[in-house]
Amino acid sequence: MSAPNCLRCLGRRPSTATTVTAAGRCAPFSTTAVNGNVPMRAKTPNPMAKEIGFRSGARLTIKKKKVNHNEGKAPAPGERKAYRKKIVLSNDNALPVPWLKNMNAEHLASPQSAGKVLSLPSELQDQLRASEAFQPSQNWGFFRKPSTLVRTETVDLVTRMQDSASEKKTLRLVVTGSKLVGKSTMLLQAMAHAYLNGWIVIHIPDAQELVNASTEYGRIPETEPTQYMQPAYALKLLQAIKKANEKVLAKINTVSSHPELPQNIPVNTPLLTLVNAAKEAEGAWPVFHALWSELTNPNANRPPVLFSLDGLSHIMKMSEYRSPSFELIHAHDLAFVRLFNDVLSGNLKFPNGGAVLASTSRSNAPRSPSMEISLAQRKAEQAGAAPEELPKKEPYFKGYDDRVEAVLKSVEVMEVKGLTKPEARSIMEYWAASGMLRAAVDERTVSEKWTLAGNGVLGELERASLLTMKYF
Amino acid sequence: MPPRLNILSSACKALARGVTRPVTVAAAPHQQQQNAFLMAAARRFSDNTTSPTTPPGQDDSVLHPSMFPQNQQSDHQIALSKLEMVAYGLNPFDVSVDGHKFGLPELPIPSEMHKSYRYDAVVNLMTKLLMKDGKLAKAQRDMTLILAYLRKASTPKLNPARPLVGYAPAPEFLPLDPVMYLRVAIDSVAPLIKIRHFKGMAGGGRALEVPAPLAERQRRRTAFGWILDAAAKKKSKGSGRTMFPHRVAEEIVAVVEGKSSVWDKRFEVHKRGTAVRANLNDFRLKTLM
Repeated sequence: MSAPNCLRCLGRRPSTATTVTAAGRCAPFSTTAVNGNVPMRAKTPNPMAKEIGFRSGARLTIKKKKVNHNEGKAPAPGERKAYRKKIVLSNDNALPVPWLKNMNAEHLASPQSAGKVLSLPSELQDQLRASEAFQPSQNWGFFRKPSTLVRTETVDLVTRMQDSASEKKTLRLVVTGSKLVGKSTMLLQAMAHAYLNGWIVIHIPDAQELVNASTEYGRIPETEPTQYMQPAYALKLLQAIKKANEKVLAKINTVSSHPELPQNIPVNTPLLTLVNAAKEAEGAWPVFHALWSELTNPNANRPPVLFSLDGLSHIMKMSEYRSPSFELIHAHDLAFVRLFNDVLSGNLKFPNGGAVLASTSRSNAPRSPSMEISLAQRKAEQAGAAPEELPKKEPYFKGYDDRVEAVLKSVEVMEVKGLTKPEARSIMEYWAASGMLRAAVDERTVSEKWTLAGNGVLGELERASLLTMKYF
Repeated sequence: MPPRLNILSSACKALARGVTRPVTVAAAPHQQQQNAFLMAAARRFSDNTTSPTTPPGQDDSVLHPSMFPQNQQSDHQIALSKLEMVAYGLNPFDVSVDGHKFGLPELPIPSEMHKSYRYDAVVNLMTKLLMKDGKLAKAQRDMTLILAYLRKASTPKLNPARPLVGYAPAPEFLPLDPVMYLRVAIDSVAPLIKIRHFKGMAGGGRALEVPAPLAERQRRRTAFGWILDAAAKKKSKGSGRTMFPHRVAEEIVAVVEGKSSVWDKRFEVHKRGTAVRANLNDFRLKTLM
């Protein structure tokens, strides 16, 4: 066996390159004693301690509380949100109400049904559920069947929708009102009427989702000023449209071919096939665009269209998206919002009539001063105020937005107010018949709850009668 | 109270002068119906809100004459109105009609009309136990959500090995009366006794354990404390402010169905109480009494 070092070399000084001493590793100018890093030894107990009488018995030791990190499986992503957003539409404990009738195509437009409670047929329930018209904050889950109170405002709104459809006009209307007064339910009733009468319904359940930078976006080429598409949202919306409007879409056919789509969609293909062409988010926006151009084609015979949106003030401000130059994108530059605003402002009309409805929200709504002042002005105009009497903008406030005011220049405004006492009585009788209100519904009870509910605000009436610690 | 008058003499005087007052009430065949109608007229048909914007005072003709200040009414007008009431077969001095918008309350006033006793005793106690950091309104909202959960939860399947309290209705009625549901759950697992510990009295530094009976309120407090402990150990399924009340409500359902661990706690306390009941006669205790 050969020696690791050549014997002749042993006489030489070892080369510094190969042998690195501990001292060589430190900086040459350091004064730290590298090798003096001796671990501290435990102190030897003082032999005198016992004799002198120092404390030497048990010492106080504070134990750390044991934290049990192993608490089972964590919920999967999205599971907790799904539980929070779960919508339950029936309650087996509630008593069936024998006099309750199912809503049909004529009910909502007839003045006779004002002040009556009508239930939603199961097919309509599926359609409304697909378009996310029900909200988890509403109290559908107390009753055996989802039912709504038809109000005079509902009849008014639905009649206007019907009139505009028969005259091939587009109703442009914004539903406002104070908190919990039933604005979203008003939209739901409008949608119910539309579904029952064979309209095509496109509903954006929460405008916030369009602008809060929660879905992906991309520039639409060859647009000036630049517009942005939201392909993932387009896919979601197309699927909702397909599920809710399946029967109507299967009956009507395309009038133009769509060469921009990768799929071959010849003329006279059912619109359902066109909608089905969107399988992934990637191609969803062109498909939606094609569907939109089909629905608004003036040469085709189309059913009336209802385009509705909840939470208007979200789309009446800057969005949270950024342009390539890292500037905030105005919500009106997002293609979906632009389509909606085109119809709402009257620049675009549904050729066979229809309606575009927007509702404001009071619980989750950013401030949009231009929207507020515009709606106030429209309301004053409808009340017959002269132009000089209209509410005026504050002269020194800089937060107004001309684009918003241009959109809301000529819309109609409907303010939803509290229930009247007969209406309150009607819905309370339904609650009592369902076994959920355990009180005799007489003049005194109705008056009491109506007053507690801030003069008949429906959501507050529910809080005072159903969501309460006292049932009697 | 209008001054008592010689009705007939002043009425005759008024008639002689030809004073008339618009009649506001219609004749009805039955006296009770008339009475109700008159009362409704007096409060201006609060059921009928076709003209809700009319400010009060504009249509004074509907108001009952006794609702005007006394100095504006002459004696004979009062007398005339009384005579009218006699003509319609009503008692002119009926206090339930005279001068009260909603009539007089029934006496004695029921206890739940007092603001401090507005809610059921069990609900009230449990709400206060739910409260943290003095936030009563939050506790009340939580209690509301618990009761709402109980109404929507499916009918509980009872466990015969865990019998409920005697007054419990059939299980299918429980969701329709959530307050009863809550009361049944709590009273069913409420322990009858607690164990008192007398320090060092058992000899050798050990505590002497003696069972002691609990009052109703104490029993309920203990039971709900156990239920809250069990709910705190549960895991939330979702997120948001409904989660805590939902966990408590799930535990209440579990109690009624006999699945809850609270039943074991109650059993343990009762078993221990039975084991140490002989200590009640312990001579060392007698020195304390």
